Parts: sequence; C-alpha cells; structure tokens
Amino acid sequence: MFSKILIANRGEIAVRVIRACKEMGIRTVAVYSEADRASLHVRLADEAICVGGPKPEQSYLNIPAIISAAEITDVEGIHPGYGFLSQNAHFAEICASCNITFIGPPAQAIQLMGDKLAAKDLMRKAGIPIIPGSMAAVRNKEDALKTARRIQYPVIVKAAAGGGGRGMRVCHNDVRLISALMTCQAEAEASFGSRDVFVEKYLEEPRHIEFQILADSLGHTVHLGERDCTIQRRHQKLVEESPSPAVDGKLRRKMGELAIRAAKAAGYVSAGTVEFLLSRDGTFYFIEMNTRIQVEHPVTEMVTGLDLVKEQIRVAAGEPLGYKQDDIALEGWAIECRINAEDPSNGFSPCPGRITDYQPPGGRGVRVDSYVFAGYDVPPFYDSLLAKLISIGTTREEAIRIMQRALDEFLLEPIRTTIPLHKQIFSDPTFWRGQLATNYIDRKLDAGEGE
Amino acid sequence: MEKRLKASEREAFRLIEEMLQLMESRGLVELEMEHQGLRIRLKKATPGHAPQVVEYVAGVPQPSATAPGHPAEGSAAEGGHRIVIKSPMVGTFYRAPAPDAPPFVEVGQELEVGQVVCILEAMKLMNEIKSEVAGLVAEILVESGAPVEFGQPLFVVEPRS
Repeated sequence: MFSKILIANRGEIAVRVIRACKEMGIRTVAVYSEADRASLHVRLADEAICVGGPKPEQSYLNIPAIISAAEITDVEGIHPGYGFLSQNAHFAEICASCNITFIGPPAQAIQLMGDKLAAKDLMRKAGIPIIPGSMAAVRNKEDALKTARRIQYPVIVKAAAGGGGRGMRVCHNDVRLISALMTCQAEAEASFGSRDVFVEKYLEEPRHIEFQILADSLGHTVHLGERDCTIQRRHQKLVEESPSPAVDGKLRRKMGELAIRAAKAAGYVSAGTVEFLLSRDGTFYFIEMNTRIQVEHPVTEMVTGLDLVKEQIRVAAGEPLGYKQDDIALEGWAIECRINAEDPSNGFSPCPGRITDYQPPGGRGVRVDSYVFAGYDVPPFYDSLLAKLISIGTTREEAIRIMQRALDEFLLEPIRTTIPLHKQIFSDPTFWRGQLATNYIDRKLDAGEGE
Repeated sequence: MEKRLKASEREAFRLIEEMLQLMESRGLVELEMEHQGLRIRLKKATPGHAPQVVEYVAGVPQPSATAPGHPAEGSAAEGGHRIVIKSPMVGTFYRAPAPDAPPFVEVGQELEVGQVVCILEAMKLMNEIKSEVAGLVAEILVESGAPVEFGQPLFVVEPRS
C-alpha cells in the first residue's frame, strides 16, 4: 500500500481524494497554483507545493512541475482526479518512467479510449452496439454528406479527440452539415489539438445511461450499476441519479455485461465509465468510455456502499478487488445536483467571487462534497463546480424529497449558483415521473422557465 | 447574518491588534499574516525611507516579518530596495554546479545580470538560474539540496542603483 500520494488536482475532487487517503493512513501532498493558496485541499493535505501561476497550463497541466513536486516530496503514487491530466496518456507514461504509480488505467487504455473513432472501432469488434456513422475521420464534404444520407438526418458532427460534450454540432440537413464541419474542425483543433471529426446518427431525445466499472490488475472486472445523467445543459451534466428510472433488472444485466466487455476489450484497470445512449424504443448504443473517476461517482457510492476512490488506490497498489459481480447490489436511490457558480438567469455566465456565507444542508440522507467555505474567493481560472449535493433515500421519491429539503436549506451567498434551477427541476412533475430526455433542460430554458 | 458579520469583524480587529503589538515589540515596518482565509498586511508609512520589498510566506498561518537593517544574514543593509529572486519552478536547489565544487555565489558577493546563481534540478535535468539584477547578494534563503516550490524566495539582492 502507498505511504504517500500526490493529488494532481484541485477543488472538490482533490478534497475527496485527500479524505480517502487520510482514512487509509496514506500521507498526502497537494499541489496548488498561486490562485489556490487559500484553497481547502491545500489546508487538508499533509504537505503542499506551489507548482505555478494561476492558469491551468502554468500549474495543474504543468507536467514537469507536478512530476518535480512528486519527486521532491518522494511520493509513491499520483492521483490525477478528473479533468486536467487524468486522461493524458503522456502524463501516465511519464509517471511510469519516473517510477511513480499513476492511480488510474494504463496509458494505453487512456490513449485508446481517448480516440473516439478507435474506441468505436474496438467496441464494434467486441460486438458492442455503436451508433451508426462514420468509422473514420471525415475526409471531405462529400464524404460527410454521403455518410449523412446513409444513416439519415439528424446527424451530429463530433471531434474525434474530443469529449465532455465539447466540439459537437447537431445537423438536420446538408447545408447545416457543411457549416458544422468547418466549425467543428476549427473548435476541435483549438480544444483538442486535432482537426479530425466524424459524423454519427443523432438520437432524438435519448437518455444518457453510463455504467461504472471497476477492474483490478489481475483481470477481475465488475460493474457497479448505472447512472442516469440525462439532465444536461449543452451536454454538461447537471443532475445524476443511480439507479436509472428507465433501466430494469434485465436491461441492467444486459448493458452491464456489455460494459464489462468494453472495459476488458480496452485492457482496463481501475475505475472507469462506459457511456451509452438509450433511445425510446429500448435500443442502446455505446458512445464513449471515460478513463477516470467521474464527478458523479458519489451516487454509485451511495447505492453500492463502496468508496470508489479507495478502490482506485487499492487496485493501483496491486490489490485484488476481492469481490465478484454477484456481490454487488444496488440498494436505495441516490441523486446528485451539481452546484455551479453560474447564473441560470443570465445565460449561465460564470460567477467567481467571494463567498460570504456558506451553510451546507445536513441530516439523514444528505451528503455534500465541496471545497468552499465562508470567506473563500472562488477564482475565475477553473471550472465552476462549487459543491455536489447528494441525497440518498430508500426510494426515488424519498431521495427527491430529501433533495428538495436539502436545496431549501443550502445557504451560499452572495454568488449566483444553479441552486434555484435545481429547485425548479425537483418540483417538476416530469422529473418526478422520471420521463426525461437529454434535451430536457434546454427545452425548459427555452420555454423561459430557467429563472 | 448580522451576528456572523460582527464575529468575523471582531476576528479581524483582534488579528490586527496582535499584529500591531508584534510590529512594535520587534521594530518591524511591515508584517503580513494569514489566518483561516483572512490575509492582512500592515505597512508603516516611513517618509523619506525607501520601502522594503517583502515577499511573504503564503499559505502558512505564521507571521512573516522583515525589519530594516536586519543584521542576521550578515549583510549591511542601510535601507533601500531589496530584490528577492524567487524560484521559477519546482525542484531541488543546489548552490554549486557539483557536490565538491565551490558555490556559484556567496553572501556579500557582487552579482551581474545574467550571472548563474544556482541550479534547480527537476526530473533529472539541471536548470541554471540566472540573475536578472546586478547588485550585492544580501541573503541566501535556502540550503543546498533542499526542495523548493514555485515562487519560493531564494536570494535577497541589494541592487546597484
């Protein structure tokens, strides 16, 4: 087992990982940018090293600085969290060459799943249903148009090296497709360093169902059930729940098996997520695999009783999982709301600034994963996630009621957050009925209800 | 909410009082303290006396203090600007190019622009750090072989006018 780990991240996930390490008796090293000196993860860690200026490239994405920090503090492992370097195969390789354990999957698996086209191809060969579309990067306009006519509109243009909902455009006709190609290629180059885009069938109003998988280095792989992340705004998740109201036991077994097959095909080790789109007629398709711990991992933890970060650390230390698929049971219902520093009434513009009052909710069935506190200055350089509010109930209805109660208690002033929007979602009968599709939020906001 | 505001105000005043006492008792012109997310910096107005440049030790709830003409590091400082050379990277600080070689600079030594002052080792690469100022090496703040972080003060230099 590790005696010391460096957490190459910040914000709530850094706090999350530090907490798991503390409980395991592992010493922690935090890295921070100049903008994060007062941040909670710095205070909670046993040691802290300033690695650079405020911008991510200067600090949290600065591989030499982070490796150097790992060396001078003599750590045995690095946990990359999510975002930043967590899906950077190059970083994983450098860790290995410096004899530091990267707490995540092998670099090869990161590389493979990071290329969306290669991942699709791998899944197709493994007999996992994939969304109809191009199997290679679009060569030219004619190529794209031919694909679109074959699979039929509507289609979506996606960046091959992309992910996280960025660099995507939905098109309903040839004219739109051609302009989308150019925009997506430019965006893809700017965000992901590659102009490669591909065309896929766009499923109208699908549900986003993802399966959490966990694999050790000895070939044991299990799935921990699904998460329904259908409530999104512009492809960014807002609310997640486990289990999914749209998945029954039979479907769970079927999709779960395929998720495990996908992970094995990728040679996966550690915690990962296989994402599917579930269409109204019950057909589902693989879209991508995320080779990291995810923001919404707490809902899986609440219904399975497992600590996913501890499992990642155990697996990285070479330990076997110690349990089989039959040992995994989903109990109860968990829902998570992402509390972002964004103003829903102003186009979700980011709201950095000082938090003067912070009083998170509590009581039975409430979990808050956060890194903010009263007096904290939310810096403008990073993502806007302030806190994750999770409710757990015996039934979905109970989880919803607990969430409503918790949202009402949540005091976070004066910056604008998504709390008001969540209150609206949780009082919406459509949400209660569990009848949603991924355009739910965008439709709701268009209808002028997003105040 | 009223009560809470007052409590944090009281906390701030208490901290300021403590700092004022510390400054008086030690003859300091400048003091910065950080405590539970609150950072306070106090600076005496000294007309006709060039301000000291202070680089604070951040993130640690301890007072960081400077005094004019502080003799501890053995250099005569008659007031005037002092420049702090801070580490541009994370690494291990070495004063000499090799274990048995003489150090690049010593306290009291004259420094030229572009002169190598130390080596910062990171990922097995030795990076020579060059001075961007000319002047007198007043203090060397880190021991050879010690780890340093980004922004950590390494040398205090009294620049030539």
